[in-house]
Amino acid sequence: MARIRLVGRLVGRDLRYRPGPAVLLVLAITAATATLTLGLVLRGVTNQPYLQTRAATKGPDVVAQLGGQGRGVSGSGTAVWTRAEAQVKTLTSAPGVSAYSGPYPVASAMLRTRGLTAGVEVEGRARAQASLDQPKVTAGTWVRPGGVVLERTFAEALGVSVGDRVTLSGRAFRVAGIAVTAAGLPYPNLCYYPGGGCVFDLSAPVTASGIGFAWATEQDARSLASARAPLQAFLNLKLKNPATAPAFASRYGSGPSSPGLIPWQSIQTGSGLLVQDEQAVLTPAAWLIGLLAIACVTVLAGGRMAERIRRVGLLKAVGGSPEMVAVVLLAENLMLAVFAAVIGLAIGWLTAPLVANPGAALVGTAGAPALTLSTAGLVLAVALAVALVATLVPAIRGARTSTVSALADATSQPRRGPWLIALSARLPVPLLLGLRLVARRPRRALLSVASVAVTATGIVAVLAFHTSTRLNIAGVPRGLADPAFERDEQTLMAVTVVLFGLAALNAICAAWATVLDTGRASALARALGASPRQVTAGIAAAQVLPAVPGVLLGIPLGIGLFDVAAQGAGVVVPPVSWLAGASLGALVALAALAALPARAGAARPVSPVLSADSG
Amino acid sequence: MNDVGVPVLRVRGLCKQYGKGEGLVRAVDEVDLDVASGETVAVMGPSGCGKSTLLHLLGGLDRASGGELWLAGQRIDQLGERALARLRRDRVGFIFQAFHLMDELTAAENVELPALLAGRSARWSRRRAAELLERVGLAERAAHLPSALSGGQRQRVAVARALVGDPQLVLADEPTGNLDSQATVEVLRLFEDLHSSGQTLVIVTHDSRIAATADRLITMRDGAFVDETRLTGGSAGNLGALAGLAEPYEQEI
Amino acid sequence: MGLTAIYLTVREVQFVQQEVVLAMLAKEPSHGYELRARLRQALGPLGDAMNDGQVYVTLARLEKAGLAASEQSAGRPDRPDRKVYALTAAGQQRVAGWLAEVSWPRPDLTEFHLKLIAAAAAGLADPLAIVDTQRRELLRRLRDAQRAALAEPDGSPAGLLLEGIVLRLQADLRWLEACERNWTSHRKDHR
Repeated sequence: MARIRLVGRLVGRDLRYRPGPAVLLVLAITAATATLTLGLVLRGVTNQPYLQTRAATKGPDVVAQLGGQGRGVSGSGTAVWTRAEAQVKTLTSAPGVSAYSGPYPVASAMLRTRGLTAGVEVEGRARAQASLDQPKVTAGTWVRPGGVVLERTFAEALGVSVGDRVTLSGRAFRVAGIAVTAAGLPYPNLCYYPGGGCVFDLSAPVTASGIGFAWATEQDARSLASARAPLQAFLNLKLKNPATAPAFASRYGSGPSSPGLIPWQSIQTGSGLLVQDEQAVLTPAAWLIGLLAIACVTVLAGGRMAERIRRVGLLKAVGGSPEMVAVVLLAENLMLAVFAAVIGLAIGWLTAPLVANPGAALVGTAGAPALTLSTAGLVLAVALAVALVATLVPAIRGARTSTVSALADATSQPRRGPWLIALSARLPVPLLLGLRLVARRPRRALLSVASVAVTATGIVAVLAFHTSTRLNIAGVPRGLADPAFERDEQTLMAVTVVLFGLAALNAICAAWATVLDTGRASALARALGASPRQVTAGIAAAQVLPAVPGVLLGIPLGIGLFDVAAQGAGVVVPPVSWLAGASLGALVALAALAALPARAGAARPVSPVLSADSG
Repeated sequence: MNDVGVPVLRVRGLCKQYGKGEGLVRAVDEVDLDVASGETVAVMGPSGCGKSTLLHLLGGLDRASGGELWLAGQRIDQLGERALARLRRDRVGFIFQAFHLMDELTAAENVELPALLAGRSARWSRRRAAELLERVGLAERAAHLPSALSGGQRQRVAVARALVGDPQLVLADEPTGNLDSQATVEVLRLFEDLHSSGQTLVIVTHDSRIAATADRLITMRDGAFVDETRLTGGSAGNLGALAGLAEPYEQEI
Repeated sequence: MGLTAIYLTVREVQFVQQEVVLAMLAKEPSHGYELRARLRQALGPLGDAMNDGQVYVTLARLEKAGLAASEQSAGRPDRPDRKVYALTAAGQQRVAGWLAEVSWPRPDLTEFHLKLIAAAAAGLADPLAIVDTQRRELLRRLRDAQRAALAEPDGSPAGLLLEGIVLRLQADLRWLEACERNWTSHRKDHR
């Protein structure tokens, strides 16, 4: 009992007098746990909003696009209905169908507003509420003569609001309202599987992801049809058993002259695409950030261990020993890890709605995502594991040291590399100092290489993503915002920021540990005639030298990571200029981060440092 | 090395203080000193009298709060850190009480370090290191690590290191503070040898044996010089009297 | 330099030196028992071994040599206690010469210790100045002995003896430093 109390007392004193490293450790583990929490919480969130939208809009179980696979029914006016009628009769009298609405005429038009051009499918509707698939108006009113209602994501991408003027195929309309529906995929996924199916005439000058959906009065919709863009027809079906929708769709929807049938389950899957994409980004990111956190904590633990062993004499006065030192460090780090895990869980849980926001397309919100006990437990376990792994090695090494050799400072005995020393003698002074500093602590140098490699991997993967989107630039028409792309970019940006932040943290930790370790050596070097600038440059070089192989290693790893995460985008190699620029930028940033604490130390007079260490 | 007549070291009104108001401590209090070329000056005093602080000020390892400091005719108390570093490289050699050798470098690598820092070629530095190790009598230990050397040997390596740049002034801070008597004798011989070769030395010590190698002995107390003695010249007694063999009978009442 | 192996005379070691007693009289004329008490105080436990009668013997000798003079004080003339002793001019001269002397006494330090006390008590000289002068002299001797010791080849018997002399001088110098510290604070207290 007394030992536990002693450990507690030592931990408390340590945290009170040197809060810096503790803060850094908490930051590192919080970053890792927050990302992990986000990743875990996102799973299973996607379904809710669609179901809510379906309930609110009386969504159909099957959507039928009449007239054959993607082929419109040519002609206009009543000729449309004659051809489609047969299909309608078949479908509506099929066993299992309990209700239907439509068929509604659907016209293809070119929408122009404020200099933007997009394709739009306009469905003609009655002013009265339909019994099946009544889109929910979120702003303005429902259709009226001369007034169109735009699908919400589409409206946001165009930047229009209620009352704005738009032209459809040359004819002026006003935006009467904005609505959401569960009967199709939102912009820009209108045409994509699963769940999407557009009937737009693709010979027109728009791309598949530049098409949106709108509603107008039946009369207005029909008037938009032309010889070049003939009318289509949509039919909504309700089944007695909604779960059988896919079977129904495959039975009645296959064949070249059958209508295109889309079951509601496909639409549900498709509407969750935004969030799924994010998961594809967050999962590898969480791994990278976790690795960096481990590296950071290891450096911190190692640095503190070495520092502590030197003061073991003081601990002996309160009944301590090297084993005690190790136990104290372990206890402290585990405690901080728990604290950081709680903060990370909170951050992850609070930001999850932002990330899990299904987008403008659906009315439902993800709600407060459930923070299940298993998620919390997993995150906590990971945090403890990170702290344990990182602290265990230096703690064991420290505990094994006998008291005698601890007092003789044997644990921090720097390594000797004769050929490195001989080599460094031939180099200019900053490189001489830097190389010798690196050689003193080969294990820490390896850790540096590893953490720089991890950071570089992440950054190169991000660059690959950007490269691939540039290659697929055929996606979005100019000016229109692509919400999926934007969301991906936002998530990627957030992840990149966290990655950079943690990398910077890592660099600071490593620099702190280096300055701590070399305080005496650099003071001595200055006493022997090295100028402060040379010493600062030397410490910066000591950080940069191991970073170079790390960066080189990160490039192929990053390309590989993107290949694995993007699943099917193929191997994308970012342009050489980007890679070179990013590498140089990283090295310069690393040198700068190391130079700051080094410079502060180098400007101070020499004698206090040397005197403090004598004896 | 420098012009005859110009003192190697000239100090006027040097002071160093810490704290302020009630807590003001004058570590060095208005010190004046002249050291001629080839002279050995010893500064003695009780612990805490400020002699180590004084030495650090003379070597540019610490900044003075006031006063003037001249080295071979050049004013050095106002120099920036970079110029001070160059000074330590080329003109001043320092010997510490705790030796301050790099543990992972051999004796030769330790000695050549200031030369490398000054930008000399690796070969020149190694040759010079060998030369100096020969001079201090440690030629056969050149490839040994400090952990394999005795205390006296380590300090001799440190002396060799201080001489690498052929300095005008060598400063020694309690050079025998961490040494036993036999190691002290080793270092003593070295200092006598340096003296006879014309090296200018300023030594801070509380060991009277080291102080006895000096030409001049200055006593310091509470940051100020309180006494100065010329040690050159014969003593009042003779060695026989010291040995107790001759006790001239004073008087018979 | 060189070793002078000429024996002159070995003086009989007297516990209480004539000069010490003379110096104690320099402050003011005193009775014998007063001098005894002062000596006791200066020597502390070491004074327990002092032979009380020695003081009177020394006083008589000093009187005989013309360095001190005595007077009968009022009271019983037959008892030696009642004599008051005072310095003569010759005695004062002797004291001044003794204070300025720098030969180092053997084998113990009592004489020097008492010299300092007497000088302080009588106000004749600054004890710190005496200490400093003595220090200087010992340092010079240390330098000579050390030089000679280093000049001897390794393992020579003379070198060993010289080393011993050096170490003793070093020890004495340490004691002188202690004297200096002590008398400095003594002066500060009595300002």
